[in-house]
Amino acid sequence: MVHISDGVLAEWLWGGGWAVTAIILAYALSKMKTEDVPRLSVITAAVFVASLIHISVGPTSVHFILNGFAGVMLGILAYPCIFVALVLQCFLFGFGGITTIGINTVNMGVPALIAYLIFRTGTGLNIRPETKNRASLFGAIAGGVAVVLALLFLAAELLTTGEEFLETTVLVVSTHIPIIAVEAIFTGVIVGFIATVEPELFGKK
Amino acid sequence: MKATRSLGVLALVLILCMALICPPASAHRVIVRGQVNEIQIRAYFGGGSADPMAYADVEIYAIKNGQEELYKTGETDENGMFYFAPKIGVFEYRAVVEATGHRGEEWVNLTEGAGITEAEQEEAEEEAGLPLAQMIAGFGYLIGLAGIAMILTARKMKKRYENK
Repeated sequence: MVHISDGVLAEWLWGGGWAVTAIILAYALSKMKTEDVPRLSVITAAVFVASLIHISVGPTSVHFILNGFAGVMLGILAYPCIFVALVLQCFLFGFGGITTIGINTVNMGVPALIAYLIFRTGTGLNIRPETKNRASLFGAIAGGVAVVLALLFLAAELLTTGEEFLETTVLVVSTHIPIIAVEAIFTGVIVGFIATVEPELFGKK
Repeated sequence: MKATRSLGVLALVLILCMALICPPASAHRVIVRGQVNEIQIRAYFGGGSADPMAYADVEIYAIKNGQEELYKTGETDENGMFYFAPKIGVFEYRAVVEATGHRGEEWVNLTEGAGITEAEQEEAEEEAGLPLAQMIAGFGYLIGLAGIAMILTARKMKKRYENK
Protein backbone atom coordinates (compact mmCIF):
# COMPACT_ATOMS: atom_id res chain seq x y z
CA MET A 1 0.00 0.00 0.00
CA VAL A 2 2.96 2.28 0.42
CA HIS A 3 3.86 2.39 -3.26
CA ILE A 4 2.41 5.60 -4.68
CA SER A 5 1.48 5.31 -8.36
CA ASP A 6 2.16 7.72 -11.24
CA GLY A 7 -0.24 10.62 -11.61
CA VAL A 8 -1.33 10.77 -7.97
CA LEU A 9 1.04 13.39 -6.61
CA ALA A 10 1.84 16.88 -7.83
CA GLU A 11 5.00 17.38 -9.87
CA TRP A 12 6.85 19.39 -7.22
CA LEU A 13 6.31 16.61 -4.69
CA TRP A 14 7.62 13.68 -6.70
CA GLY A 15 10.36 15.91 -8.12
CA GLY A 16 11.38 16.83 -4.58
CA GLY A 17 11.32 13.13 -3.71
CA TRP A 18 13.85 12.45 -6.47
CA ALA A 19 16.07 15.30 -5.23
CA VAL A 20 16.12 14.02 -1.63
CA THR A 21 16.71 10.46 -2.83
CA ALA A 22 19.60 11.54 -5.08
CA ILE A 23 21.35 13.35 -2.20
CA ILE A 24 20.99 10.52 0.33
CA LEU A 25 21.92 7.91 -2.30
CA ALA A 26 25.09 9.77 -3.25
CA TYR A 27 26.10 10.06 0.40
CA ALA A 28 25.28 6.41 1.19
CA LEU A 29 27.11 5.06 -1.85
CA SER A 30 30.20 7.10 -1.00
CA LYS A 31 30.28 5.23 2.32
CA MET A 32 29.94 1.79 0.73
CA LYS A 33 32.84 -0.65 1.08
CA THR A 34 33.45 -3.81 -0.94
CA GLU A 35 32.73 -6.06 2.02
CA ASP A 36 29.28 -4.45 2.44
CA VAL A 37 28.14 -5.45 -1.06
CA PRO A 38 27.20 -9.12 -0.49
CA ARG A 39 25.13 -8.27 2.61
CA LEU A 40 23.52 -5.34 0.80
CA SER A 41 22.56 -7.60 -2.12
CA VAL A 42 21.06 -10.31 0.05
CA ILE A 43 18.95 -7.87 2.08
CA THR A 44 17.87 -6.09 -1.13
CA ALA A 45 16.72 -9.43 -2.56
CA ALA A 46 14.67 -10.01 0.60
CA VAL A 47 13.09 -6.54 0.46
CA PHE A 48 12.39 -6.98 -3.26
CA VAL A 49 10.40 -10.22 -2.88
CA ALA A 50 8.83 -9.41 0.50
CA SER A 51 6.48 -7.04 -1.31
CA LEU A 52 4.87 -10.06 -2.98
CA ILE A 53 3.70 -11.50 0.33
CA HIS A 54 0.20 -10.15 0.73
CA ILE A 55 -2.31 -10.18 3.53
CA SER A 56 -5.93 -9.27 2.87
CA VAL A 57 -7.14 -6.87 5.52
CA GLY A 58 -10.67 -5.51 5.38
CA PRO A 59 -11.24 -3.58 2.18
CA THR A 60 -7.64 -3.69 1.05
CA SER A 61 -4.54 -5.76 0.58
CA VAL A 62 -1.29 -5.08 2.39
CA HIS A 63 2.18 -6.49 1.85
CA PHE A 64 5.47 -6.63 3.65
CA ILE A 65 7.89 -3.72 3.40
CA LEU A 66 10.87 -4.84 5.53
CA ASN A 67 12.30 -1.32 5.61
CA GLY A 68 13.00 -1.48 9.35
CA PHE A 69 14.78 -4.78 8.91
CA ALA A 70 16.88 -3.28 6.11
CA GLY A 71 17.71 -0.28 8.32
CA VAL A 72 18.84 -2.42 11.25
CA MET A 73 20.92 -4.74 9.06
CA LEU A 74 22.47 -2.17 6.74
CA GLY A 75 22.54 1.25 8.42
CA ILE A 76 22.88 4.04 5.87
CA LEU A 77 23.11 1.45 3.08
CA ALA A 78 19.43 0.64 3.68
CA TYR A 79 18.70 3.63 1.45
CA PRO A 80 20.33 2.25 -1.72
CA CYS A 81 18.87 -1.15 -0.79
CA ILE A 82 15.33 0.22 -0.78
CA PHE A 83 15.96 2.29 -3.91
CA VAL A 84 17.15 -0.73 -5.92
CA ALA A 85 14.31 -2.90 -4.58
CA LEU A 86 11.74 -0.25 -5.57
CA VAL A 87 13.22 0.16 -9.06
CA LEU A 88 13.00 -3.59 -9.61
CA GLN A 89 9.49 -3.79 -8.14
CA CYS A 90 8.36 -0.94 -10.37
CA PHE A 91 9.72 -2.32 -13.64
CA LEU A 92 9.17 -6.03 -12.99
CA PHE A 93 5.99 -6.14 -10.90
CA GLY A 94 4.39 -2.83 -11.90
CA PHE A 95 4.24 -1.63 -8.27
CA GLY A 96 4.11 2.13 -7.79
CA GLY A 97 5.19 4.33 -10.67
CA ILE A 98 8.33 5.43 -12.47
CA THR A 99 8.01 9.10 -11.54
CA THR A 100 7.31 8.21 -7.91
CA ILE A 101 10.34 5.95 -7.31
CA GLY A 102 12.10 8.92 -5.68
CA ILE A 103 9.32 9.82 -3.27
CA ASN A 104 8.57 6.15 -2.52
CA THR A 105 12.23 5.66 -1.63
CA VAL A 106 11.93 8.62 0.75
CA ASN A 107 8.78 7.12 2.28
CA MET A 108 10.40 3.78 3.03
CA GLY A 109 14.09 4.70 3.15
CA VAL A 110 14.04 7.62 5.61
CA PRO A 111 12.07 5.53 8.16
CA ALA A 112 14.66 2.77 7.60
CA LEU A 113 17.42 5.21 8.57
CA ILE A 114 15.41 6.31 11.62
CA ALA A 115 14.97 2.64 12.53
CA TYR A 116 18.74 2.25 12.37
CA LEU A 117 19.19 5.26 14.67
CA ILE A 118 16.74 3.74 17.17
CA PHE A 119 18.59 0.46 17.05
CA ARG A 120 22.01 2.10 17.35
CA THR A 121 20.93 4.31 20.25
CA GLY A 122 19.21 1.43 22.04
CA THR A 123 22.02 -1.09 21.75
CA GLY A 124 25.05 1.16 21.25
CA LEU A 125 25.95 -1.44 18.58
CA ASN A 126 27.68 -3.26 21.39
CA ILE A 127 26.11 -6.57 20.51
CA ARG A 128 27.29 -9.83 22.01
CA PRO A 129 25.50 -13.11 22.65
CA GLU A 130 24.97 -11.94 26.26
CA THR A 131 23.17 -8.76 25.17
CA LYS A 132 21.05 -10.69 22.70
CA ASN A 133 17.71 -9.88 24.37
CA ARG A 134 18.34 -6.15 24.37
CA ALA A 135 19.36 -6.29 20.70
CA SER A 136 16.22 -8.28 19.88
CA LEU A 137 13.98 -5.81 21.70
CA PHE A 138 15.41 -2.79 19.91
CA GLY A 139 15.41 -4.67 16.62
CA ALA A 140 11.70 -5.32 17.06
CA ILE A 141 10.97 -1.70 17.99
CA ALA A 142 12.95 -0.48 14.97
CA GLY A 143 11.17 -2.96 12.68
CA GLY A 144 7.71 -1.84 13.79
CA VAL A 145 8.42 1.89 13.98
CA ALA A 146 9.82 1.97 10.43
CA VAL A 147 6.54 0.69 9.00
CA VAL A 148 4.45 3.17 11.02
CA LEU A 149 6.70 6.04 9.91
CA ALA A 150 6.42 4.97 6.26
CA LEU A 151 2.62 5.08 6.60
CA LEU A 152 2.75 8.53 8.20
CA PHE A 153 4.91 9.80 5.35
CA LEU A 154 2.37 8.38 2.88
CA ALA A 155 -0.58 9.98 4.68
CA ALA A 156 1.24 13.33 4.82
CA GLU A 157 1.86 13.26 1.06
CA LEU A 158 -1.70 12.25 0.30
CA LEU A 159 -2.75 15.42 2.14
CA THR A 160 -1.73 17.31 -1.01
CA THR A 161 -4.23 15.30 -3.06
CA GLY A 162 -7.07 16.39 -0.81
CA GLU A 163 -7.24 13.33 1.43
CA GLU A 164 -7.83 13.87 5.12
CA PHE A 165 -4.63 13.23 7.12
CA LEU A 166 -6.27 11.69 10.16
CA GLU A 167 -8.68 9.57 8.14
CA THR A 168 -5.94 8.25 5.85
CA THR A 169 -3.57 7.62 8.74
CA VAL A 170 -6.18 5.69 10.72
CA LEU A 171 -7.08 3.66 7.62
CA VAL A 172 -3.53 2.77 6.55
CA VAL A 173 -2.19 2.17 10.06
CA SER A 174 -5.15 0.02 11.09
CA THR A 175 -4.94 -2.12 7.95
CA HIS A 176 -1.18 -2.48 8.44
CA ILE A 177 -1.35 -3.69 12.07
CA PRO A 178 -0.57 -7.30 11.03
CA ILE A 179 2.36 -6.09 8.91
CA ILE A 180 3.70 -3.93 11.76
CA ALA A 181 3.44 -6.84 14.18
CA VAL A 182 5.01 -9.43 11.88
CA GLU A 183 7.85 -7.14 10.80
CA ALA A 184 8.61 -6.23 14.41
CA ILE A 185 8.73 -9.89 15.44
CA PHE A 186 10.68 -10.89 12.31
CA THR A 187 13.31 -8.18 12.82
CA GLY A 188 13.57 -8.97 16.54
CA VAL A 189 14.03 -12.69 15.93
CA ILE A 190 16.61 -12.25 13.15
CA VAL A 191 18.58 -9.71 15.20
CA GLY A 192 18.52 -12.06 18.19
CA PHE A 193 19.71 -14.92 16.02
CA ILE A 194 22.56 -12.92 14.46
CA ALA A 195 23.54 -11.59 17.91
CA THR A 196 24.05 -15.21 18.96
CA VAL A 197 25.84 -16.60 15.93
CA GLU A 198 27.61 -13.65 14.27
CA PRO A 199 27.45 -10.47 16.38
CA GLU A 200 30.30 -8.83 14.40
CA LEU A 201 27.80 -8.29 11.61
CA PHE A 202 26.45 -5.33 13.57
CA GLY A 203 29.83 -3.62 13.82
CA LYS A 204 29.95 0.14 13.38
CA LYS A 205 28.86 1.02 9.88
CA MET B 1 -86.07 -1.83 -44.18
CA LYS B 2 -85.29 -5.44 -45.06
CA ALA B 3 -82.05 -4.41 -46.73
CA THR B 4 -80.95 -2.48 -43.68
CA ARG B 5 -81.66 -5.46 -41.47
CA SER B 6 -79.70 -7.90 -43.65
CA LEU B 7 -76.77 -5.42 -43.71
CA GLY B 8 -76.91 -5.35 -39.94
CA VAL B 9 -76.85 -9.15 -39.74
CA LEU B 10 -73.91 -9.28 -42.18
CA ALA B 11 -71.95 -6.78 -40.13
CA LEU B 12 -72.61 -8.79 -36.96
CA VAL B 13 -71.51 -12.04 -38.66
CA LEU B 14 -68.31 -10.36 -39.91
CA ILE B 15 -67.44 -9.01 -36.47
CA LEU B 16 -68.03 -12.41 -34.88
CA CYS B 17 -65.91 -14.12 -37.54
CA MET B 18 -63.03 -11.73 -36.93
CA ALA B 19 -63.30 -12.25 -33.23
CA LEU B 20 -63.06 -16.01 -33.76
CA ILE B 21 -60.15 -15.97 -36.23
CA CYS B 22 -57.81 -13.60 -34.41
CA PRO B 23 -56.24 -14.81 -31.16
CA PRO B 24 -56.84 -12.40 -28.33
CA ALA B 25 -53.14 -11.45 -27.91
CA SER B 26 -52.99 -9.87 -31.31
CA ALA B 27 -54.79 -6.94 -29.86
CA HIS B 28 -51.45 -5.96 -28.18
CA ARG B 29 -48.51 -4.56 -30.04
CA VAL B 30 -45.28 -6.34 -29.16
CA ILE B 31 -42.40 -3.98 -28.43
CA VAL B 32 -38.82 -5.16 -28.45
CA ARG B 33 -36.06 -2.73 -27.57
CA GLY B 34 -32.36 -3.21 -27.20
CA GLN B 35 -30.51 -1.40 -24.45
CA VAL B 36 -27.06 -1.54 -22.93
CA ASN B 37 -27.60 -0.92 -19.28
CA GLU B 38 -24.19 -0.76 -17.76
CA ILE B 39 -20.49 -1.15 -18.19
CA GLN B 40 -18.74 -3.07 -15.47
CA ILE B 41 -15.39 -2.02 -14.05
CA ARG B 42 -13.44 -4.38 -11.81
CA ALA B 43 -10.44 -3.16 -9.84
CA TYR B 44 -8.08 -5.49 -8.02
CA PHE B 45 -4.47 -5.60 -6.82
CA GLY B 46 -1.83 -7.37 -8.85
CA GLY B 47 1.27 -9.20 -7.68
CA GLY B 48 -0.21 -12.55 -6.77
CA SER B 49 -3.13 -11.69 -4.52
CA ALA B 50 -5.84 -10.37 -6.89
CA ASP B 51 -7.55 -8.87 -3.84
CA PRO B 52 -10.37 -6.51 -4.81
CA MET B 53 -9.74 -2.79 -4.51
CA ALA B 54 -12.79 -2.01 -2.39
CA TYR B 55 -14.25 1.45 -1.75
CA ALA B 56 -11.79 3.09 -4.14
CA ASP B 57 -12.57 6.37 -5.90
CA VAL B 58 -13.63 5.92 -9.52
CA GLU B 59 -13.64 8.53 -12.28
CA ILE B 60 -15.14 7.73 -15.65
CA TYR B 61 -14.15 9.90 -18.61
CA ALA B 62 -16.22 9.81 -21.80
CA ILE B 63 -14.07 10.13 -24.93
CA LYS B 64 -15.68 11.55 -28.06
CA ASN B 65 -13.73 12.74 -31.11
CA GLY B 66 -10.55 12.59 -29.08
CA GLN B 67 -12.03 14.94 -26.47
CA GLU B 68 -12.19 13.66 -22.96
CA GLU B 69 -14.67 14.84 -20.39
CA LEU B 70 -15.49 13.71 -16.87
CA TYR B 71 -18.68 11.72 -17.15
CA LYS B 72 -19.22 10.03 -13.81
CA THR B 73 -17.57 9.66 -10.42
CA GLY B 74 -18.23 7.13 -7.72
CA GLU B 75 -16.78 4.42 -5.54
CA THR B 76 -16.15 0.71 -6.06
CA ASP B 77 -18.17 -1.70 -3.92
CA GLU B 78 -16.65 -4.22 -1.49
CA ASN B 79 -15.79 -6.53 -4.39
CA GLY B 80 -13.95 -3.80 -6.27
CA MET B 81 -16.79 -3.47 -8.82
CA PHE B 82 -18.22 -0.30 -10.29
CA TYR B 83 -21.06 -0.05 -12.80
CA PHE B 84 -22.10 2.83 -15.01
CA ALA B 85 -24.54 3.35 -17.88
CA PRO B 86 -22.93 4.42 -21.16
CA LYS B 87 -23.78 7.74 -22.74
CA ILE B 88 -25.70 7.68 -26.05
CA GLY B 89 -23.30 8.08 -28.95
CA VAL B 90 -20.14 7.71 -26.88
CA PHE B 91 -18.26 4.47 -27.40
CA GLU B 92 -15.01 5.06 -25.61
CA TYR B 93 -14.42 5.50 -21.90
CA ARG B 94 -11.44 5.78 -19.59
CA ALA B 95 -11.88 4.54 -16.06
CA VAL B 96 -9.46 5.71 -13.34
CA VAL B 97 -9.54 3.93 -9.99
CA GLU B 98 -7.61 5.38 -7.07
CA ALA B 99 -7.26 4.53 -3.38
CA THR B 100 -4.63 5.73 -0.88
CA GLY B 101 -1.98 6.47 -3.46
CA HIS B 102 -2.71 3.44 -5.65
CA ARG B 103 -3.98 4.22 -9.08
CA GLY B 104 -4.86 2.21 -12.13
CA GLU B 105 -6.66 3.00 -15.36
CA GLU B 106 -8.39 1.12 -18.13
CA TRP B 107 -9.88 2.02 -21.48
CA VAL B 108 -13.26 0.59 -22.47
CA ASN B 109 -14.14 0.66 -26.15
CA LEU B 110 -17.69 -0.42 -26.94
CA THR B 111 -17.08 -0.64 -30.70
CA GLU B 112 -14.60 -3.44 -30.08
CA GLY B 113 -17.26 -5.49 -28.32
CA ALA B 114 -18.54 -5.22 -24.82
CA GLY B 115 -16.96 -8.32 -23.33
CA ILE B 116 -13.32 -9.21 -22.86
CA THR B 117 -11.60 -11.54 -25.29
CA GLU B 118 -9.94 -14.80 -24.31
CA ALA B 119 -6.51 -13.24 -24.80
CA GLU B 120 -7.42 -10.35 -22.50
CA GLN B 121 -8.75 -12.80 -19.92
CA GLU B 122 -5.49 -14.74 -20.04
CA GLU B 123 -3.49 -11.56 -19.73
CA ALA B 124 -5.56 -10.49 -16.73
CA GLU B 125 -5.03 -13.84 -15.03
CA GLU B 126 -1.32 -13.68 -15.72
CA GLU B 127 -1.14 -10.18 -14.26
CA ALA B 128 -2.94 -11.32 -11.13
CA GLY B 129 -0.74 -14.40 -10.67
CA LEU B 130 2.57 -14.64 -8.83
CA PRO B 131 5.22 -13.17 -11.18
CA LEU B 132 7.79 -15.97 -10.85
CA ALA B 133 9.70 -15.10 -14.02
CA GLN B 134 9.99 -11.48 -12.90
CA MET B 135 11.23 -12.58 -9.48
CA ILE B 136 14.01 -14.61 -11.06
CA ALA B 137 14.82 -11.71 -13.40
CA GLY B 138 15.00 -9.44 -10.33
CA PHE B 139 17.53 -11.72 -8.63
CA GLY B 140 19.54 -11.74 -11.84
CA TYR B 141 19.64 -7.95 -11.94
CA LEU B 142 20.66 -7.88 -8.27
CA ILE B 143 23.57 -10.24 -8.85
CA GLY B 144 24.67 -8.07 -11.77
CA LEU B 145 24.38 -4.90 -9.71
CA ALA B 146 26.30 -6.50 -6.85
CA GLY B 147 29.09 -7.37 -9.29
CA ILE B 148 29.26 -3.80 -10.59
CA ALA B 149 29.18 -2.39 -7.05
CA MET B 150 32.02 -4.69 -6.00
CA ILE B 151 34.17 -3.69 -8.97
CA LEU B 152 33.60 0.01 -8.29
CA THR B 153 34.22 -0.17 -4.54
CA ALA B 154 37.28 -2.38 -5.05
CA ARG B 155 38.69 0.14 -7.53
CA LYS B 156 38.06 2.94 -5.02
CA MET B 157 39.82 1.02 -2.25
CA LYS B 158 42.74 0.19 -4.54
CA LYS B 159 43.20 3.85 -5.37
CA ARG B 160 43.17 4.76 -1.71
CA TYR B 161 45.71 2.03 -0.97
CA GLU B 162 47.99 3.22 -3.79
CA ASN B 163 47.83 6.81 -2.56
CA LYS B 164 49.02 5.73 0.87
